[in-house]
Amino acid sequence: MIGEGAEAKVFETSLFGTCAVVKLRHVKSYRIREIDENLRKTRTKKEARVIYRAYKSGVVVPRLLGVGKFTVYMEKVEGTMLKDILDTYSDYARIGRTLAKMHNADVVHGDFTPANIIISKGRACVIDFGLSEISDSIEDKAIDLLLMKRSIDTKSYMKMLAAYRKESKQAKQILKRLEGVEKRGRYQVRSLA
Amino acid sequence: MLVIGIESSAHTFGVGIVSNGRVLANEKEMYDLSTTGMIPAKVANFHAKNAGKVIVRALSKAGVSFGDIEGVGYTKGPGIGPCLQVGQLAAKAIASKLKLKIIPVNHSVAHVEISRHAGKLDDPVVLYVSGGNSQILKFASVPFPHYRILGETLDVGVGNMLDSFARKLKLTPAWGSTVARIAKAGRYVEMPYTVKGMDFAFTGLLTHAIERSGEEKAEDLCYSLQETAFAMLCEATERALLLSGAKELCVCGGVAQSERLREMLDAICKSHKMRFGYARNEFNADNGAMIAFAAEKMLKKGCSLPLSKCDIKQKYRIDSAVVVR
Repeated sequence: MIGEGAEAKVFETSLFGTCAVVKLRHVKSYRIREIDENLRKTRTKKEARVIYRAYKSGVVVPRLLGVGKFTVYMEKVEGTMLKDILDTYSDYARIGRTLAKMHNADVVHGDFTPANIIISKGRACVIDFGLSEISDSIEDKAIDLLLMKRSIDTKSYMKMLAAYRKESKQAKQILKRLEGVEKRGRYQVRSLA
Repeated sequence: MLVIGIESSAHTFGVGIVSNGRVLANEKEMYDLSTTGMIPAKVANFHAKNAGKVIVRALSKAGVSFGDIEGVGYTKGPGIGPCLQVGQLAAKAIASKLKLKIIPVNHSVAHVEISRHAGKLDDPVVLYVSGGNSQILKFASVPFPHYRILGETLDVGVGNMLDSFARKLKLTPAWGSTVARIAKAGRYVEMPYTVKGMDFAFTGLLTHAIERSGEEKAEDLCYSLQETAFAMLCEATERALLLSGAKELCVCGGVAQSERLREMLDAICKSHKMRFGYARNEFNADNGAMIAFAAEKMLKKGCSLPLSKCDIKQKYRIDSAVVVR
C-alpha cells in the first residue's frame, strides 16, 4: 500500500508487465451497504471518466489501464511530487497551461494543489481525480485556481496565472469570480498542507 | 475554586456549578417547542421568568450559597440575541451584586472543552454537531490559541435539518430522537449526498426528503435521511482525521446524543486504531455546566473582563474565540 485517504487505498502492482497503481475504494462499514456501494461505484466510474476526458484534452495524466467496479488501474508515474521540489518556479507556466486545458474541457479537479502534481521527465502530470467533476461552473473553476494560489508563493502564482490567462477560453470570467470567492468568508485558508 | 455558569443561547436556560473541574450542579428549564418554533422574544421572556428559579435550584443542588461563588461565566455567543441578553443580564447582576469576576464564554468552545475533558482526550479532531452548528475542528496555537475550522456545513446545521424534516412530518419533539426511533423500522430509499472535501451541505437532502414525503413511508424516509446525513458527516470527519494526522476523535453538541452517529464514528476510529471520546448526554444538550467548566479554566488563567466590556455576540464564530486549555 502506498497511500490511504478517506475513501480509497492506493496500492502498487504490476499489470501487463508495467508498473501500475490501483486505487481501490474499499468497503466503509460505518455506513449502510446501499449508500456505501452506490458511492463507491459512482465515484469510481466518474473518476475514470474524468481522467479520460482530461487525457483527451491534452493534459498529462496517468494512463488509464483498466476500470473495475470499485477499482481504477493506472500507469505508475515516476517522478517527483511538486510539493517536494524546492525550486519550482520554472514549472508554473506549464502548470497554468495544464489547468487551462483542463478547464477548457470542463474538467474541474477539485483538489488542485502541489501534492497532486508530479513532475516527470519535464512534464507536469496531474494525479488524484477523486474529487473531480465534469462541470462548466465558473465558480468551481475559480476554486481550483484559489486552492493553488493558497498553496504556493505569489511569484509562482503570478507566473502560473499569466500562462492560464493566455490558454483559458474563459479566463476573464473565472478570474473575476475568483475575486468574488476570495471576498467571501467561507473559503478562508483551511488546507492542512 | 467555585464557578457558576449561565447558558441561554437558544431554547435552554441552564445553570451549572463547577468546582475544580467537577460538576456540582447542572440545572435547566427548556422552552416548549412542540407547537411553535423559537420566537426570539417569547423564548427570551421564558428565560427571564425562569432565571431566578433555576439559579436558586442549582445552588441548593450543589449545596452552596451565593457567598461561596468566586466567578460567573455566561454565554457570549453564538446564539439568539434576545436569549443571550437574558443570560448576560443574570450573570452581570450576580457579578455586580457579589463583586465577582465575570467571564464571557463561547458556547461552541464550552461544548468542545467539556466533551474533551469527559472523553479524556488530549488533541482530538472534533466533530461539533448541533442544531445550528456542524463543524469539524482542530486546535491550533497560532496566531492565537483557537479551534480551527477544518470543514463545516455550507448551509444549515444537521440538527436543524432533522428538526425541519420532522416538523414537516408533524412528528413530536424532541425531533432528532423521534426521527431516530422511527428510522429503526425503515428501509433505504435513495437520497442525494453532498460532501466537498471536508465540507458538507444538507438543504438538498432536506428538500428531496420533503418532496418524497407523499410517496414514501415515513420510516423509510427517516431512516434514509438519517443514514445519509450521518454518512456525510463521517466521510468528512474521516478525511479530517487522516489529513491532520490526529490520533483521537471527539464528538460533541446536541446531535452527539445520537447513538447511531456515535456507533458510526466509533467504527471509523476502530478501523484506524484511534481513540474516540464524548461526554454524557446531559453535557451534549445545551447546559450551564459546560459554561461554568470553561469559565473556571479561563478564570484560573486570569481571563476575566470588567462588567462594562461584557457584551454578547450573536455570530461569535468558534475560530475567533481565544481558547484556554
